[in-house]
Amino acid sequence: MTLPAALFSHYRRHPLQLLALGAMIVLATMLWTGVHHLTSQARASLEQSESAVAGRQQVKRKDGERVTVEDFVKLRRRGLCVMPWLEVTSPETGRVVGVDPLAAGCFGNPDREESPWRGELDGRPFVDISDAAELARRQRSELSLLVSDAQDAGDLPSGYQLAPFRVGPDTGELGDSFLLNLDALGVLVLLITALLVRSVYLLGLAQRRDSFALLHRFGVPRRRINRLLAIEIMVLALVCIMPGIWLGRWLATGLGSGFGRALEGLFDQPLYAGRDGGWLMPLATMLAVVLVACLADLLRPLAQRLSGDARWVGGFLVLVLMAGIAVLIWASALVWLFVALAMVFVSAGTLAPMLISRLADGWAGRDTDPLSRWRHRELSVLARRLALPLVALQFAMAMVLAVQALVTTFESTFDRWLAQRLEAEYYIEVPEAVDTGLALDWLSEQSELASSGLWHRVVRGEATLMGAAGEPGPVVDVFALGPVGPLVTGWQLFESTAQPWRALQQGQGLMVNEQLARRQGVTAGQLLKVKLGSQVLNFPVLAIYPDYGRPAGEILVNAAVLPPDFIPGFQSLSVSPGTLDIEAISQQLKQIWRVEELTVRDNRAIAELASAIFDQTFVFTRAMTALTLILAAIALLMMGWVFFSTRAWYFRLLVVWGLSRRQASAQLTRLAVSLTSAIALLALPLGVWLTWALVHRINPLAFGWSLPMVVYPRFWLELGVLSLLVGLSIALLMRRQLKTPALAPESTSALAGGER
Amino acid sequence: MVDSLLWARGLDKQFRSGTEPVPVLTDLSLHLERGESLALTGRSGSGKSTLLNILCGLEMPDAGVVQVLGETFDSGKPDAMNKAEARWGNLRRHQIGVVFQEANLMPALSLLDNVRLRARLAGHNENDCQDWLERLGIGELSDRYPDQVSGGQRQRAALAMVFAMKPTLILADEPTGSLDHHTAEAVIGQLFELQARHGCGLVLATHDPELAIRCSQHMDLGHQPGT
Repeated sequence: MTLPAALFSHYRRHPLQLLALGAMIVLATMLWTGVHHLTSQARASLEQSESAVAGRQQVKRKDGERVTVEDFVKLRRRGLCVMPWLEVTSPETGRVVGVDPLAAGCFGNPDREESPWRGELDGRPFVDISDAAELARRQRSELSLLVSDAQDAGDLPSGYQLAPFRVGPDTGELGDSFLLNLDALGVLVLLITALLVRSVYLLGLAQRRDSFALLHRFGVPRRRINRLLAIEIMVLALVCIMPGIWLGRWLATGLGSGFGRALEGLFDQPLYAGRDGGWLMPLATMLAVVLVACLADLLRPLAQRLSGDARWVGGFLVLVLMAGIAVLIWASALVWLFVALAMVFVSAGTLAPMLISRLADGWAGRDTDPLSRWRHRELSVLARRLALPLVALQFAMAMVLAVQALVTTFESTFDRWLAQRLEAEYYIEVPEAVDTGLALDWLSEQSELASSGLWHRVVRGEATLMGAAGEPGPVVDVFALGPVGPLVTGWQLFESTAQPWRALQQGQGLMVNEQLARRQGVTAGQLLKVKLGSQVLNFPVLAIYPDYGRPAGEILVNAAVLPPDFIPGFQSLSVSPGTLDIEAISQQLKQIWRVEELTVRDNRAIAELASAIFDQTFVFTRAMTALTLILAAIALLMMGWVFFSTRAWYFRLLVVWGLSRRQASAQLTRLAVSLTSAIALLALPLGVWLTWALVHRINPLAFGWSLPMVVYPRFWLELGVLSLLVGLSIALLMRRQLKTPALAPESTSALAGGER
Repeated sequence: MVDSLLWARGLDKQFRSGTEPVPVLTDLSLHLERGESLALTGRSGSGKSTLLNILCGLEMPDAGVVQVLGETFDSGKPDAMNKAEARWGNLRRHQIGVVFQEANLMPALSLLDNVRLRARLAGHNENDCQDWLERLGIGELSDRYPDQVSGGQRQRAALAMVFAMKPTLILADEPTGSLDHHTAEAVIGQLFELQARHGCGLVLATHDPELAIRCSQHMDLGHQPGT
């Protein structure tokens, strides 16, 4: 028999261990590749969107009107190199952008390969402007006129000004923050999978250590044994990683559309292209992870020198934990928050098995019943020996707790928010170029509507926040409505002055959304200088209202304060008709406005549609976390089963000493369930803390809005039941072993009681 | 014979090697009175451990009857055998002490806690557990764990566990097989001394002919029919 054959003979005797290791590498690769694939696609789409318009600016009309083809012609005739950018949006085709390849020469050589116009946007190629113009006849479109960054404002004809150009709304650093979040999720998944692979590999290694010692006594150098082990795991990794990558990509493709919608919902722009990614990155990463996870033992002497005294290590870890918590509470940069998260996870994960072990030893010391004392001592041994899969399960449980709480909170908050925003039963789009005043007069005169129904007018547009010295600041969305009535006065407010709705009714102030408040540091009560149309007005901030799911800053004002030269981008009427018939109202409005068609939308249908889209998004998040949890539970089950098998002899001793098999099984069950319950208990504070960190620290920094902190004890109960099931499954598998005659421990260290 | 400490009649046991049946014990009979000792000898695989396992109920014979301390176990009467596990468990817990060649101790417990556990399972208090360790010469090691003491000291702790349960019958399966000559001599001397002092029966499986001579009875399983 050759040396490699002798080494590999362990897996011939224990094929299930080889299968478990292989399955763990495949599943770990699948999970990480899935997350990585989605993240890299989102990053690529965002970067592409940014690069397509990087360094561009646009020409805008000073009167606030949209630019037209006539403006384009006028500017070109003045010798300005202007490129038209026609954006057409429709539910069927999504966003289509048409550019003029000839005019693209304004930005350098249009034929250059790296020219963004030759690439894609949102995974779709740019089209010729004539094709886009064709689509624009039937769909909503918007024309922008782009000029190069070198263009000087002084060259513009009067009535025009330069403004920055962006593909979507200004997300500030939100896009980067969001991607950092995804990267952090990927790292966490990688950490959990590395722990799982390592735990399964170490189990086999522990059983093979005596064989290695024997081979060493036969004259085989340790270095050669280590080299063969490295080759063995590398071959196994290569064989298992490839199907894992394929499965991960398949998973990502399946979940891609839901993920894409989630991003679109969060950023008001498509961020997921759904293209194929490379194979090399996942292959190299997973190979490195598997090799480091499995062969880190070769560095053990170095680690032991570094770690030193165990008590000192425990104290150090507590310090790291406290420092991590402190940084998380006080840090204001997202990167530091993730560093703090990592500190807390690493220290809590390392401390958890130590804590269980010490608590069990403490209980054993106080036990008067020798059998309980044995059980607690055995629990202490198990906590130390199964530390890696236990920590992986703890992390997975904490992650599931946090993500479940976050998603459920978001679902319920979003539902409430949607109900607030769609309080009226219908909304009616005001056609362009009609006199809204006539409709408002008619609605005001309807006594039946006043007594049984509700309505208000909504005007949307843009305003500019002005600095203290009168310099223009950021452009924000305007949400103007009037009359201010019960359709909005029930809104939840984060912060407000006294009687904010009454003041808004009287036009004595404005409200700002949370995103704007966070970005500009706005608080209730302060004065805000706002340019509406051509007028600069000073308004006190009456309140800050939640506005989930979008990054844009927004001000809410009474429509009565809008100056006459304010140009609305869009107008609508929100109507709850009461005893009146919506059909009758719309007919009357058609007559007033002299139009044949009127768009009347049922808000319940919109709410249902929005909820359905978000539901699909949440399925993705839950699927990823549930998969991680299942993987961790299976790993602990396998490890627990195999490790308990090595302890089978000691349970058999109990039978030899007169306990019935049923009683020995009961001891086994109590032990297994105690272990899994203990780790579930320790996962709980970590999960609640992670929820808090996500809700109160990371989410506001990454997305610009915060959610209420809600905990869901039902999830805790569900995870408790899961931990019980894992424990019971281990016990059930082990009971079968108790029925067969147990062999005395094989390894010399076990015979000497070394597995203590 | 009914008053004997232990007797067995017509014991048969065979194992399978693939599809081939391998007889280990064939029509074996024995009896042992209180205070007596029986040495079981024979080459490896002759069935010494199997017989000991049958005599304490850890394995069932294919045929035959075993009576221990008045409890009869007849493999030909399945109804009676249904409750056999509980009766055997009761006997092992209170009356029969079993010593293996190694791995007799729970590794997570100190030597003293191992002895206490065994005493408590047998229904005795823990007061004399330390005494037993003292008597076996390892009293100062009572707080040590099994991996912190030598093989001989572990076997002495195993004997302390057996005597702390105040057994009527001791079954020892090559208890000194892994020890050096001097340590083995010391341990076996203590086993015989305590067995004689407390008047319990002893069945000892051993390869050592000199040791077999020291027992009051000797059965060579190498001369079993079919072996």
